[in-house]
Amino acid sequence: MKEWNRAQFEREIQGDKPVLVDFWAPWCGHCRRIAPALESIEAEMGQSCILAKLNIDAEPEIARQENITVLPTLILYRAGQRLGSITAPDAKAKIEDFLRQALGR
Amino acid sequence: MATIYDMAVIGGGPGGYSAALYAVRAGLRVVVLEKLCPGGQMALTSQVDNYPGFDQGIDGFTLGENMRRGAERFGAETVLAEVLRCDLTAVPKRIETSGGTFFAKTLVYAAGAVPRELGVPGEAAFAAKGVHYCASCDGMFYKGKDVMVVGGGNSAVEDALVLSRIADRVTLIHRRDTLRAEKISVKALESQKNVDFCWNSNVTALRSMENRVAVALQNGITGEETERITDGVFVSIGRKPATELVKGQLMLDPAGYLPADESTRTQIPGVFAVGDVRTKAVRQIVTAAADGAAAAHFAQEYLAGKD
Repeated sequence: MKEWNRAQFEREIQGDKPVLVDFWAPWCGHCRRIAPALESIEAEMGQSCILAKLNIDAEPEIARQENITVLPTLILYRAGQRLGSITAPDAKAKIEDFLRQALGR
Repeated sequence: MATIYDMAVIGGGPGGYSAALYAVRAGLRVVVLEKLCPGGQMALTSQVDNYPGFDQGIDGFTLGENMRRGAERFGAETVLAEVLRCDLTAVPKRIETSGGTFFAKTLVYAAGAVPRELGVPGEAAFAAKGVHYCASCDGMFYKGKDVMVVGGGNSAVEDALVLSRIADRVTLIHRRDTLRAEKISVKALESQKNVDFCWNSNVTALRSMENRVAVALQNGITGEETERITDGVFVSIGRKPATELVKGQLMLDPAGYLPADESTRTQIPGVFAVGDVRTKAVRQIVTAAADGAAAAHFAQEYLAGKD
């Protein structure tokens, strides 16, 4: 998965294609645990959704701006709008269900 | 025609992957169904020092990945999917998951355990926003803040120690007046200047108060009710077995575990209970791995018609 900085984040979430951002930190154990699931979802979704990671330790202002209080938090954006979010999912299926609902599929 | 595996393993922790490793090495076709990532509860442990063979210790996530790769080297398959239903008496056994339906001649149930909740009003509303179940995961959000830890066992004391290095003030709330945890950790915790103890206290409710958490407490001896305000509550009152899926099909002990002896055989032929889900005295990575080896052995016997 791609790792974004602030500039990339602010540019990329403006696009027409949905973007799922994984807010994580190097010290977050649960963040590592969802990584295999996210990689497999990225492969399954192909071109229909962009997945990227954002390290909140490297970009604390974005974490504040997006009100991240739990790690990992996954937020789905499209055209600059927040479509929904999910925190600390404990199953790959929970992320898939969230995406299905948020994208209305 | 769907694939019929010789063995389906539910849960990719140390028990599940040990069963898979032994089974594939014996020539069985095995699929491991894991809902999130290899390693199970172990994957949340930053340092494992009590699994032999790692003289410097190893982090649990890496150990889980290594176990997966070790089993896959001999042909085990891993599917990241959540099991929704399973029919243990069907022939072959049928497992419905978020990633499709799987069939197998034997089933190793190694779903592990999950943190026990307080079960008080308000808890769910705070889930992961003020109430946490993993100090090493979420502790960093409380840098310089006030937190409470609920519990009195090893994990509660460990959590309080972790938090004492991050938070400004830590209060350990325990329903008794002594801790069950090992003496060495209790001593370490008592020597921390920013840690207080609140004895004989039961948490009865949680409510939100100006972005903080109000914790209602009742003294177990006097019955006196008080309320304390904190920034975050870390619940560390043990674990419960993930046996909901097989409830009604397999017998459960009063605590919800699956009674099976060292052979890991359950009362349904070809179904094995491995790791933390099994009724046993010691729940450790190494005992879960041992269960996996036993399950693979008795699964082969079952498949050979000797069971």
